Amino acid sequence: MTGLAVDDAAWASAWRLRSPADKLLLSVGLVLCALLLPVWPGSLLVGLTAVVLALGPARVPARTFGRAVRVPLAFIALGALTTVVEVGSGGLGWAPDAAARAGGLVGHAVAGSAAVLLLATTTPMSDLLPALARLRVPAAVIEVASVTYRMLFVLLTSLSTIREAQTARMGHAGLRASYRSSGMLAAAVLTRSWDRARRLQDGLAGRGMETGLRVLPEALPSSSRFVAGTVAGLAALAAVSVLA
Amino acid sequence: MHIAEGFLPAPHALGWTLAAAPFVVHGARCVVKEVREHPESTLLLGAAGAFTFVLSAIKLPSVTGSSSHPTGTGLGAVLFRPPVMALLGTIVLLFQALLLAHGGLTTLGANAFSMAVVGPWVGYGAYRLVTRLGGGLLPAVFAAMALSDLATYVTTALQLALAFPDAESGFPGAAAKFLGVFAVTQVPLAIGEGLLGVLLFRVLTVNARPELVRLGVLRPDPERAEP
Repeated sequence: MTGLAVDDAAWASAWRLRSPADKLLLSVGLVLCALLLPVWPGSLLVGLTAVVLALGPARVPARTFGRAVRVPLAFIALGALTTVVEVGSGGLGWAPDAAARAGGLVGHAVAGSAAVLLLATTTPMSDLLPALARLRVPAAVIEVASVTYRMLFVLLTSLSTIREAQTARMGHAGLRASYRSSGMLAAAVLTRSWDRARRLQDGLAGRGMETGLRVLPEALPSSSRFVAGTVAGLAALAAVSVLA
Repeated sequence: MHIAEGFLPAPHALGWTLAAAPFVVHGARCVVKEVREHPESTLLLGAAGAFTFVLSAIKLPSVTGSSSHPTGTGLGAVLFRPPVMALLGTIVLLFQALLLAHGGLTTLGANAFSMAVVGPWVGYGAYRLVTRLGGGLLPAVFAAMALSDLATYVTTALQLALAFPDAESGFPGAAAKFLGVFAVTQVPLAIGEGLLGVLLFRVLTVNARPELVRLGVLRPDPERAEP
């Protein structure tokens, strides 16, 4: 399988059947808290809340969550380090408040990333995209995004299969061969995506598709307890951070 | 190279979102119009989005030893035009944020501005300029892909410099720092992406001629009977 670990976690999560709007409210609330509240103790609280909720009630595997949180760390570390190095008349040096500035940046960014991951690891894209209709995103755009989501796994599988075949034929031995193979790989995946779109189109036309791709929406009712808990929790978090 | 969630201060995140919005909305209008006139384009556009996402899973060996992935927005701009790429690029960025933890939600606007707006337009501009000067398809594709990648990275560096000006030397000093740090990985990557584009189009002009003609990249060949 060449599934994406975050997507697999989202489908298997204990919060999979919760309303996407509820989870969106929680995660976006946490993201905004991470962005707007002072880093101490706001970001710490947001980060902890996101991790505890994901690993606790939502039952996301700790391995998946940990790995995904690590992805943006390289950028965050490099970015924060570059920010606090100062270019002065005497060459490079540390900015006066280097440690505090770097700490603040890393805190905001890690807490924000954890809050986004809470949404990502509990809500599959196919649940989230229809929820965008409420934000007045045009139906045609949501359909294009839905096709993108459904097709990308097929293309990822093609990609890894072709790459495996190329590697087995020494296609990635050396820089030159590797570039040649990567070019052919990209071309093969692109032509396959066109071919697949055309065949899907033929199949749907044969079934009388005229007004777009109608998919029966799954009923995921909103829980008033969850919403009340989210609002109360976020308010408490904001109050503690502002007063502390 | 996407700006991570929470890295930009709130006013900057909001500002870049507002800056990217007109382009993305324009792209969405183009897509809505296209889909209304040709309902079958939904699937082709979806396929294009999926391809752009998957392209970032191709690891390019880099001269400096590290391996990086192409952004693919230059390619998309040549094949599907920049307005459509503004929307597809933003969708892909949203997917990367939510499926790969790459990028973020509040930084989506800033990332969309650099990767889905500036990159495609610079790439497309370079492509048109080189073809108009009689440079041929492959040099034009090289210019489009290398320059769109470079423009994306320069924009990201400038966005970071604006948000975090240097205490002593201000914005210019910060810009020099960020450009310098990212140049180590991004300049070889831009050249690599340009080469990948040339290799890709060499295969496409042989294997997928009718599709390239339909997209308007190649002129119909009078000597060959097109199906």
